[in-house]
Formats: sequence, C-alpha cells, structure tokens
Amino acid sequence: MKRFAIRRRPRRAIIAATTAATLAAALAGCSGDSQDPNTVTIAYQKFGSFVAADTLFKKVKKDFEAANPDATVELRAIEAPAEDYQTQVNLMNQSGSEAPDLIYEDSFTINQDADAGYLRPLDEYWDKWEDAERFNEQADAAVTGLDGKRYGALLGTDTRGLWYNKKLLEKAGVKTPWEPKDWDEILETARTLKSKLGKDVIPLHVPSGQPQGEEASMQGFQMLHTGTAEGDSGGLLFDEKAKKWIVGDPGFVDSLEFVKSVYGGDLSLDEQDALNANVSTINNEQRIPDGELAISMNGSWVPQAWIDSANKPWPEWQDTMEFVPMPTKDGQDPGATSLSGGWTLAMGAKATDPDLSWKVMAEAMNQENATKFAIEGAQVPVRDDIADDPKFSKAPAVNDVANELIDVTHFRPAYSEYPKVSIAITKAMEAVMLGEASPAEAAKTYDEEVAKIVGDDKVVKAGG
Amino acid sequence: MASTTVAAPEGRKGGTRPSGRPSARRGGVASWLLPLAPALFLMLVFFAGPIIWTVWVSFTNAALTGVNAAQPEFVGLANFTELFADPKFREATLLTVVFLLGSGVVGQTVLGLGLALLLQNRHPAARMVVSTVVVGAWVVPEVVAGLLWVVFLEREGGLNGVFEFLGAAPVNWLYTAPLFAVILANVWKGTAFSMMTYSAGLSEIPSYLKEAARVDGASTLQVVWHIVLPLLRRTIATTLMLVTLQTVQVFTLIYVMTAGGPGERSTTLPLLMYKEALQFGDLGYGTTVALALLIVAGLFSAAYVKMLRPEEVR
Amino acid sequence: MTAEQPGRPRRGPGASLATAGRPGRTLPKAITSPTRAAASTVAYAVLAAVTIVFLLPLLWVLFASVNAEPSLRATPPSQFTLEHFEAVLTPETMFIPLWNSVLLSGGAAVTTVVVSVLAAYPLSRFNLRFKRPLLYTMLFATGLPVTAIMVPVYSMFVQANLLDSRGATTLFLAASSLPFGIWLMKNFLDGIPVELEEAAWVDGASSWQSLRLLVVPLAAPGMAVVGIFTLVMTWGNFFVPFLLLKSPDYLPAAVRIYSSFGQYGAIQYGALAAYSLIYSLPVILVYIAASRALGSKFTMGGALKG
Repeated sequence: MKRFAIRRRPRRAIIAATTAATLAAALAGCSGDSQDPNTVTIAYQKFGSFVAADTLFKKVKKDFEAANPDATVELRAIEAPAEDYQTQVNLMNQSGSEAPDLIYEDSFTINQDADAGYLRPLDEYWDKWEDAERFNEQADAAVTGLDGKRYGALLGTDTRGLWYNKKLLEKAGVKTPWEPKDWDEILETARTLKSKLGKDVIPLHVPSGQPQGEEASMQGFQMLHTGTAEGDSGGLLFDEKAKKWIVGDPGFVDSLEFVKSVYGGDLSLDEQDALNANVSTINNEQRIPDGELAISMNGSWVPQAWIDSANKPWPEWQDTMEFVPMPTKDGQDPGATSLSGGWTLAMGAKATDPDLSWKVMAEAMNQENATKFAIEGAQVPVRDDIADDPKFSKAPAVNDVANELIDVTHFRPAYSEYPKVSIAITKAMEAVMLGEASPAEAAKTYDEEVAKIVGDDKVVKAGG
Repeated sequence: MASTTVAAPEGRKGGTRPSGRPSARRGGVASWLLPLAPALFLMLVFFAGPIIWTVWVSFTNAALTGVNAAQPEFVGLANFTELFADPKFREATLLTVVFLLGSGVVGQTVLGLGLALLLQNRHPAARMVVSTVVVGAWVVPEVVAGLLWVVFLEREGGLNGVFEFLGAAPVNWLYTAPLFAVILANVWKGTAFSMMTYSAGLSEIPSYLKEAARVDGASTLQVVWHIVLPLLRRTIATTLMLVTLQTVQVFTLIYVMTAGGPGERSTTLPLLMYKEALQFGDLGYGTTVALALLIVAGLFSAAYVKMLRPEEVR
Repeated sequence: MTAEQPGRPRRGPGASLATAGRPGRTLPKAITSPTRAAASTVAYAVLAAVTIVFLLPLLWVLFASVNAEPSLRATPPSQFTLEHFEAVLTPETMFIPLWNSVLLSGGAAVTTVVVSVLAAYPLSRFNLRFKRPLLYTMLFATGLPVTAIMVPVYSMFVQANLLDSRGATTLFLAASSLPFGIWLMKNFLDGIPVELEEAAWVDGASSWQSLRLLVVPLAAPGMAVVGIFTLVMTWGNFFVPFLLLKSPDYLPAAVRIYSSFGQYGAIQYGALAAYSLIYSLPVILVYIAASRALGSKFTMGGALKG
C-alpha cells in the first residue's frame, strides 16, 4: 500500500480548475441579449438587388433616434433569400428575447403568423393615426386577418407582367412595341428569338421550381393560372364561397403545359440555371443588362436593380426595357392578368414597448419615407398622397403600365395554409421542368398534396 | 469535500479486469467526478437534452408558424406513419445509402487505404508532397470545399476543361449527376482522414513480418493481402465506422453544392430534415426525419461499439 | 492487434503525415528486385496521378484569385492582379468574420482540449465502475449527427436566451467535438506510462500535480491533435453559427462567404477565390506548424489503434 500524501490543497486545485470550466459555461449563458425597453428592433430582408428596405430603415433609425434621444432603433438586416428570411424570422419569433418588435413581412404570411400568435393587432393604434385614411382599401385588406383584426400596414404593392428588351426583339425582327395577345404569341416570339439570335440570347424566363419559392409560385405559375379563367370560373386556387381549396382544375394543367413548352422547348435558361435560387438577381443584375435575356416574366419593381441607388446601376435600362401586361391564355377577357402582393410592416406580439414600436412604425410609413420606399423599391404606392408627389411621379422607375395593371390584378388566397400550398405548386412546376412528370401527373400530385395539407374536407373539385 | 475516502481495492472495483491498471485510484468521488464534470455537463446539456426534445417533438405536430406553432398537439405515431408512407423519405434514405457507399466506403476508405499503402516506404519528399495535397483538401473549410467543387464541376468548369482537352464531351455534372458530384467532392474532402488513420495503423505493423514474407518470395500484393490487411483489420473496421458516421450526417457540402436539387435528386436525410423542419416549418415531421437519422447513425454507432471488443475500452 | 499492455510505454506511434517517413522504415536496397522496382514506378505514377487530381480543384483558387479576368476554368492568369484581394480585405467582409472564426473555433478548440484532458485523465488512470458504460456512451455520441439535433438545439438556445451568444455557440461547438476529443485523449493518456506518476505519488505528489507536471507535458502532442481536429472541424462549420448567431457582427467567415458568394451564384469568381484562399490559410498554417513542431508525434495512431 502506498502512503498517501495529504491532498487537501491539490484537491482544491482540481475543484478550482473544474469550477472555472463550469463557470465559463454558465457565464456564457449570461451573454445573451437582454431586452431593453427603450430599444425597438426591426427585422428585415436585405438580399440581392433588394436594398430599399435597408436604406429605408437606416434612415428611420437615424431620424427617430435624433428626435427621441432616449430610444434606440436596432436593425436586424437578414441577408437571405425570401424563404430563408422567412425561416429566420419564424425562428426569432419563437424566442422570447430575439423576437423582433417590428417585422418587415410579406403580406401572404400575415395570416399564418397571426395564427401562430407572432403578431400584435394594430387596430388601437391604426384607428387613431391621422395618416390612416391615406391608405387605400386594398392596402387594408391585405393586412387584415381572418379574425377581422389588422396585423400590419402595407408599405407598397406591386404588379407583375413581362419585361422585354426592345433592342433584342427588334434585332430578331419582332415588331415593337410588342404587345402579346395570348400565350401562343409569347411562345411564338420566344421561338423567333431563339432561331434569330442563337444561343447567346435566352428568349424567355418564367420563374419556376422550388428554389425560387414564392417567386416561382406567384410570378411564374399564378401569372399563368389566373389567365386561364373564363369569366368567373377557373384560374383560382381557392373557392371563396365554399371556403375550400380547389383541386382538379384544367387551368392548372394548362399552366403547367406552358411551363413545359418553355423549358421542354428550350426557350429559357438551362434547367440548372433556372433552378438556381438566385436566378432573379442574376437575371436582373447581369443577364438583362448584358443583353443575354430577352423576355422576363417578373415584377414591376425590377428597375430597383437598375436605378442609380442600386448595387449595379444600369442607366440604359430606360431606353432598352419595356414592361407589358401578361395576356390571358387565349386573350379572353379582360385580356391581361396580373398578381399583386406587397410587403408589410407588422408588430411582433412580444414587442417590448408597443407604444414606442408603433411610433417607429408610423415614422417608417409617413409620407416622406413611404415616397422614398416607393421610389427605391419601385413600388406601386398604397398611400394616395404619393402618386401626386412630383418626387415620385418624375422618378425613373415609376411605371404607368404597372399602375394600370391594378385594374386586372389578383391577390393570393392569403390563408394560413397558403404558403404550404404554394410550395406544392413549385414542386409541380419543378417536376414538369425536369420532365419527371407530365403536366397532368404533376397536377394530380398537387391535388393529393393539397388534400394532405388542408385536410380532405377542405378541398373542392373545380367547377363543382 | 472530505479527502479521506480511500478507493476500494483494485480487484473489486475493476470488475472484470483483474489485471487492470496498476494501483487503484486513491481519493474519493470528487477526484474523478470533478474533472469529468465539465465534459458531462456539456454533453448532457448539448446532446442528451436535445435528443430527448427530438423524441418528444416527433410525437407532436409542432410547427414554426401557423396555428400549430401556437398550440402544438400530441399526434401519437402520425408522423411516423407518414414517414414510412412518404416516398420522399424512402428516396432520401436510398440517396443517403448511395452517398454513404459511394463516398464513405468505396471512395474514402479504398482510396485512403490505397494511398496509405502506396505511401509506405516511398521517398520522404514524395510522402510529403502527396500527404500535403491530400491533407490540404481535408483542411479546407467545408463551405469553401463546396464552392470550389461547384466551380470545378460547372459546365464551364475545370473538369469539363479536362474533358475537352481529352476530346470527350462535356458533362453538366451538377445537374445531370448531382449525387455523383457531391460524392466526388466528399471523397476529395474526406480521404485524408482515412489515409491518416491507415498510415498510423500501417506504421505499427512490425516491418520484420513483411520482410520475412518477402524473403520467402511473396510478392508485394501477397504481402499486402496476407500479412498487412489481416493485421490492419481492426484499424479498417474502426475507420470505416467513423467514416460512416461522418458521412451520413454530411450537410454543409451538399447544401452549398446542390441544396438537395435538382428536384430531390441529392436530398439525403440531413437535407430532408432541414427542408421539412426549417424551410417548410413542419417541426414535428422534420424532427421525425431527424430521429430516423439519429436511429440510423445510432445503429452504426452501436455496431461500432460492439465491434471494439471490451478489451479496447479500458 | 491485441490491446496494449497496461502501462507499457507506447512506441512512437505512426509516422507523421506532413513530414517524411522515418528512414528506418525504408527497406534495405538488397531485397529490391527488378519487379519491385517496376512496382515502385507504378506506385509513384499512381501517387502522382492522385495528387494531380486532388490538386485540380485547388488550382482554380490560386489562379482565379490573381487573375484580372477570372472564369470558371483553372487557367493561369492572363493578367496578374491583386484587386480581388483588395476587394475582400475589408473589415466587414474579411477581418471581422475572420476574427469571429478565430474566437469561435479557437475557443471551441481550447475548451475541447482542456475539458478532454480533465475528463480523460480519470478515465485513463482510475478504475471506475461506470467507466465502460461511460466510454461506450461517449463513443456512441461520436456518431450522432450534429445536424439532426440542430433544431432542438436552436429551440433550447431560444428558450435559454442564448441565441446570438458567441460564448454559448462556442460551447456548443466544443460539446459537439468532445466525445471524439475525449476518446482520442484517453487513448493518448493510456499510452503514457503510469510508472512515472506512481513514482511521483510515492514522492507525495497528488493526482493534480502529476496531471499538471507529468501527464500534460507528455500528452502535449495528443492535446495538439485534439485541438487541431476541433479547429479544422469547426473552422468550416457553417450550419451551427448560421442558425445560432444572428448579428452580422458575430458571424464567422464560414457564414459570410456563403452569404456573400452563395447569393450571387458564385459569379464574382476572383473575389470568391481570394476569399477562399485567405479564409483557408490560417487553419492550414496552424496545421503545418503543428505537424512540423510535433514531427512524428503528430498522428492519429494513438487514438485509432485497432
């Protein structure tokens, strides 16, 4: 047996060492954010050519902090594509301290997030706000939940159509101004471009597939689908009367047929490039300015990628690019279609100081800032005092065609299930693009998936 | 804490190993528990906790947003029923297995072992150059490796440049063969690990054994087959298992290179989990996929533990 | 291979990788026959081919980073330029993220080494009843996919208010490398003869003193291996900081490079190449330095003996 030395001191050394390690662990626990009641955090997206929100909120921060020395506006710019942005904000909303006070949020997720309890109703503030009446009805509808409460304020809206490069079309012998009357004319023009301009020019881009997420669903699929309506029937995803989701719609298959004609007919980008999550940024910042893309189905806000305050200004766009309405399938009434969305500013349910947060929100939506956002974000304004503001009406990115499309535009069924239904749409598109399914098969898969998402009792057969 | 507790005599404490370590430990609980405490603390908090949570959530319909985010409900085995009926899950499992076999087993292990064998007895300079390059690929951060391989496999990229030079038709790797593309990248990134372990294993084989065989007229291949590989058996098993476990959970590389696409053609289980849980916000279902992944890895892990016979774990 | 006899001094384990094989290993020339010479030529040819294949994807980085007109092809620069480096060497894109990487990965590596040594010592030296189950559990944990538990970990961070905390993220990274670290470390410690410690105990030294004065210096190579492993694994980790950190000021280079170059579909080739080079350099340098300093002691041998 060995003789044991007295080990009191050394033992203590071990204790000290291990306690130190454990303490370090515990200390790290204290370094999380604490919630300062005088701080208003704003979460917003900053991605690709979209910098308008960033410049807006930076200005709001500066102005607000100057006017309210005690308050701090903390900016959380999330640099991610729309879908990842949404995920990040959802994750933040689940948290106690990370939940933002103000959220820059796509209008179609308002219902979903209101259901999740992430958003705070704004009626008490809105009703008392002097500027409230400046906002048009459509802007109110977009942010009103199914429970009748207001969950945000629309910062601006938009329409969608076809951007085309005048010079390229003329080079291919297509008569300009180009005003396609139906889907066939679009495909015909694309084929002409393909045969005349060769492989250096991509004739047509239609957003499609899962990586683009909502963009493919809205700018791509629904721009087609809404154009398959005949009078009051068809072309809808949701039956407002029956309050059910529509399946088995022939227009759904027709729309996928168009996608097939475009990608199967080699009229667009290689599937690989079209499935790049950043295809829009690349199109708007590179392919279009470089004259490599002739027709692009996209939003009215695209010039935000070309104006002086953009990442890569392209002043020639004004003489090159034209915006025309997307025709209905066979040119049936009303002849054109469009989709409108828009981003809102909403208040988090866990906002530390709702009164202060509202003040920041009102600051962001005042006439001056709303005008700035409408110009830099190339938006269709929702405040009636912007359209007449010379700063706006003389701005290069203002687009009369886009503003007029409001007459024929459609809105997405912004119900809580919509975002998942929308993903199912993009899956159907991708399956058709990749030739994994025929349009009819993909539509059938979509029908099944919708029934799974919303429940069998919440779907209705088209025309039924 | 008192310092007078004396350890029990070796025989009783050591259990099945009477010839255990010389001199049983002196000191009480504190002498071993305290140093272990930080490790136990970290692993309990960061592993055990989340795993228990995963099990729980997989029985609910919890979501990132929507009504189910506010009031998740217990749904019993619904997620599991859905999982086994889900063609996406079956496909992802298949892709994971192919990815594992292709990059982990065939690629990294064969190449790693081959390199280790070839490097034996080579000129020091050659060893240095080869291992520096191979290890270099291993040291490159995963995100960079992913981006590099995107560049290398793009239509206009380096590999097609080589193809062009050889007079072959270019291939659109990332699109037509996405799984092959990520397998290639993973082999490139991971071979160094196998090579290192095998080099270490080989260096412990006494050279007189090999030389004796050679003197008896055995060819190099015969020496490798009859002498080296049998002696290397346990190193191979260990490495294979570690590589397997690392490979089934590869996420970043695939996410950066293909994000699981096009379609679902390179969506392995970790990618599927990410899509379901975080992109689609379906936490309940997503964690069920995660649990399936944990179970798969756990089975491999258990096999690995079993393989290392008790005497290895002292 | 049989288990090593307890207490037997470990032979110099395995040849180092980055350094040359030991001369003693080379076979005597006398045995070399013409066939073996041919085989040797073949071996060199194969090695050369593999090396070139491994080098190909890396070549692009070197060329494109200094090429005024970089493309996807790994062609030597048509015109030499440093503008890509200038473009990325700004605090926002490079220095702050790199420093964050140092904090995260360095912190994780140091924590892992310290915690592993502490944990491995009793596991190696003491006969403890629960030791085997504990080691099994640890081995088991080595195989659990960190990716699979990220969602609950995220939730936990949210609930414990740890989101966007660099300290907690570092600890998580450390925890995820711990099982492997402890396992490596225990095997290294097993290889250190216990006789020295016994002598020290006879002289009245305590466990702590023998750990600090005898074991740690001898285990330094093992600690270096554990540290380097953790560093290499965490330096490139994208997913963990991507989810757990939010402030742009805290994001490490792994996330920054993805958000800067991923979002443009890798179009700024020159800048991407320059960034990749600078970002990879520190960990490569640390690796080379460690393998140089430790020589043949720097090996996986002790840890993964079969």
